[in-house]
Amino acid sequence: MLATVASSTLVGVEGTPISVEVHVSRGLPSFTIVGLPDASCRESRDRVRAAIISSGFKWPQQRVTVNLAPSSVRKAGAGLDLPIAMAVLAADSQIPESAVAGMGFLGELGLDGSVRKVPGVLPLVHAMRAGTVVVPPSCVPEAELVRGADVRSAAGLRGLVSVLRGESGWAARPPSPPPEPSVAGPDLADVKGQPLARLAVEVAAAGGHHLLLVGPPGAGKTMLAERLPGLLPPLGTDEALEVARIHSAAGLALPAGVLVRRPPFRAPHHSASLVSLIGGGGPQMRPGELSCAHRGVLFMDELGEFPADVLDTLRQPIEEGRVLVCRARASVVFPARVLLVGAMNPCPCGMESGSGSCRCRESARARYAARVSGPLLDRFDLRVMVDRPDVGELIGGAKADSAGAESTTTVAARVQAARHLAHGRSVTCNAELAGPSLDRVAPIHPLASRLLEVRLRQGRLSARGLHRVRRVARTLADLDGRAGPVTVDDVYGALALRADVFAAEEMVL
Amino acid sequence: MIGDEGAAGQAAYAAALSGLPGMGPATLVAVLGRWEPRRAWERVRAGRLQRPPRGQGLDFESRQTRQTPLDGAFDSGSIRCSGRTWAELSRGFDPETWWAPIAGRGIGVTWPGLATYPVALADDPHPPGVLFWRGALECLDRPCVAIVGTRRATPDGRSVAFELGRDLAGSGICVVSGLALGIDGAAHLGSLRAVDQPGAVGPVGVAASGVDVVYPRRHAGLWEQVVAAGAVVSETPPGRPAQAWRFPARNRVIAGLVRMVVVVESHAAGGSLITVEAALERGVEVRVVPGPVHSPASAGTNQLLYDGPGPVRSARDVLDALGMFLPDSKAHHARAQVGVEDEASLVPVLSSAAKAVLAAVEWRPSSLNHIVDRSATSVGTALRALDELEATGWVASERGWWVRRR
Repeated sequence: MLATVASSTLVGVEGTPISVEVHVSRGLPSFTIVGLPDASCRESRDRVRAAIISSGFKWPQQRVTVNLAPSSVRKAGAGLDLPIAMAVLAADSQIPESAVAGMGFLGELGLDGSVRKVPGVLPLVHAMRAGTVVVPPSCVPEAELVRGADVRSAAGLRGLVSVLRGESGWAARPPSPPPEPSVAGPDLADVKGQPLARLAVEVAAAGGHHLLLVGPPGAGKTMLAERLPGLLPPLGTDEALEVARIHSAAGLALPAGVLVRRPPFRAPHHSASLVSLIGGGGPQMRPGELSCAHRGVLFMDELGEFPADVLDTLRQPIEEGRVLVCRARASVVFPARVLLVGAMNPCPCGMESGSGSCRCRESARARYAARVSGPLLDRFDLRVMVDRPDVGELIGGAKADSAGAESTTTVAARVQAARHLAHGRSVTCNAELAGPSLDRVAPIHPLASRLLEVRLRQGRLSARGLHRVRRVARTLADLDGRAGPVTVDDVYGALALRADVFAAEEMVL
Repeated sequence: MIGDEGAAGQAAYAAALSGLPGMGPATLVAVLGRWEPRRAWERVRAGRLQRPPRGQGLDFESRQTRQTPLDGAFDSGSIRCSGRTWAELSRGFDPETWWAPIAGRGIGVTWPGLATYPVALADDPHPPGVLFWRGALECLDRPCVAIVGTRRATPDGRSVAFELGRDLAGSGICVVSGLALGIDGAAHLGSLRAVDQPGAVGPVGVAASGVDVVYPRRHAGLWEQVVAAGAVVSETPPGRPAQAWRFPARNRVIAGLVRMVVVVESHAAGGSLITVEAALERGVEVRVVPGPVHSPASAGTNQLLYDGPGPVRSARDVLDALGMFLPDSKAHHARAQVGVEDEASLVPVLSSAAKAVLAAVEWRPSSLNHIVDRSATSVGTALRALDELEATGWVASERGWWVRRR
């Protein structure tokens, strides 16, 4: 007897439809799985067999062949346990074949026949070509994010079989857990002083410019970076789904019940490997931290401590907003439109300040600065020095703060308005403005263009730097609500936000 | 006393003698005081002039035993060579063929008794036995002042050294320093800035390595500029890198060459204090640039200041102390007056934004963050004002730090 059941497997962040075919025929009892299963998938044999027997069904004492089609796609993970079990039971006529026709299944089986959750349900259900999809109960909210999917849940093999035999009805949809209260992120008002860094964070959010914060330990670099996602506009439905799909595929816990619209914030530790950051690894091609931060913020603290090869692989993805990971068996495109925020110390001792408290040799400083390659440093449109706040600001500044420091809500409103202006130029943010279109969309005041010309002639600005300064200047004008030409002050502001943070001792005459 | 014409033929031998292992300055001075170089070399070859026993000899000599012989002309392994006698080492070595290409590269050598030997070193308690040079040694005939200080200088220290170097060189003073990173380099850069002025004197760099061995490497460009405008001199034979003992020895040469040592910044136990000691030993005046009391880079200089040597604020103070009232120094005088005049009379020429920003820039380095915070202006306006203030000389910037200038 032959039975076919629909399911899907994960490659990268996309599901691939899989047709599970089981053939039961006369011959010596055996159980083989063909169709490029990987090690974790081949283990299904033992789980499926045990689950069927312990649920009180009969294991066919015949020759059982499972084919996972198309056989060119590598199948990974335990998600195909449930479809294999259902196909086996249908092929052995323990459930009517008509009952499983047009149905898709997803889930890992326990030896006792219970159905367990699997990662990536959102993209998997999305890919499945089936009218009704059966998923583990805890995956229902995630599966229901897929528009038009008829989602059913099954807690165990025995219950599922009795439904399919028509002996009972579908289990009631498990009550969706109450939506997690949306925790307000940290507020920008907590940051004391730091006018330059605050502005940099605001500009980064408004224009989508990558940001490098350089400062001594304890200056508040991490604090500033953590407040950046709160300034970004909330994700649209399509964007939020896209992010949820990636997080689902990466096996991250999705908050129950609601589509998260807050942009993600990922802060990998500097021991991160290349694959963990970019994605790949194994046949499943898990998305990396870079993709997990898609449409949000990728914060790399202690940027200089990341291995140099890891840092340099970031160069092209952050420019293109996607990364094509190629392996012998598959190539996968991971979305990677992130706002990169780096933080590092100015020198190995971290104490650099104008008062000569740095204890580093010039050569040690140069070596430290060289850890971030020039091309990567160039990708940071915004590079600011963050200094330790004054003692007065930390302790005595209670009254000054309450009046002075703007809250996240105020700044986010400005950011939103600036992004709206950017939409008018048919880009999502100014960082995406193409070089040739700058003259049209970001005209500059004659005085400002003379300033830029002087800087270019002095060699203090490169041609690439010129475009970046112009984009940042455009964002500064947008934040000010001015749609007209970019002024001298905007250009000066952009130059101030693009400091030469690792300037060496002046040696040129 | 040998005539300078005769010296040309002797130079190779003097240079070769200075490269012998265990040949320290005092021995070399004694040897060259008794025989002319060629004769001395012949005695060495004949075994009649032998290496002094270790542990004897003066000052820097005793620590010299690990020195490699004559550019490895005989043998590259220094340890094996150190046991060999001078006679063995000199056999089969022709100083003239060795020296000709070096002299061809514009390197000269002088020793006590020659007219080219700096007068200031003639009656030095520990004079260099030979002095190699590249460039124009005549610079040392002008009044010489040393500007020394820490390699880990602050932006402020560097700019003081730069200005001292520039203004002293422009006033006809030969600025002597050690070509090191930090203060030394800044002083040289400053004096190079002035070389185009009429009456300016080129700088002299005293190196611890051979005059053709750039150390530190980052100063390769600076060396060539110092050679072009003034001179680089060294006791170390050409081609040899600096060994640790060469640095204090170099400092004593600096102290011996000059009429005054100005210390710009020094950590509590900095190498520039060795120069100061050597200067005091020779009765050379020491002056100190005061620094902030909290700055570790000024700990050594402030201690000196407490101990006695007088302060120096600008090139004018140095010229005064040397009793030199050159007409050029009037310019500095006039500028110093501007600094003490009532600021209010000058400020009105600035825009109101610039005035607010100027008030926020401190005399010690301030960050842009700090300036924006204190002046309560936007970042763009602040940087624009700073640009304006820098162009008019009110503030200066280095490494992103801003400091008030007047």
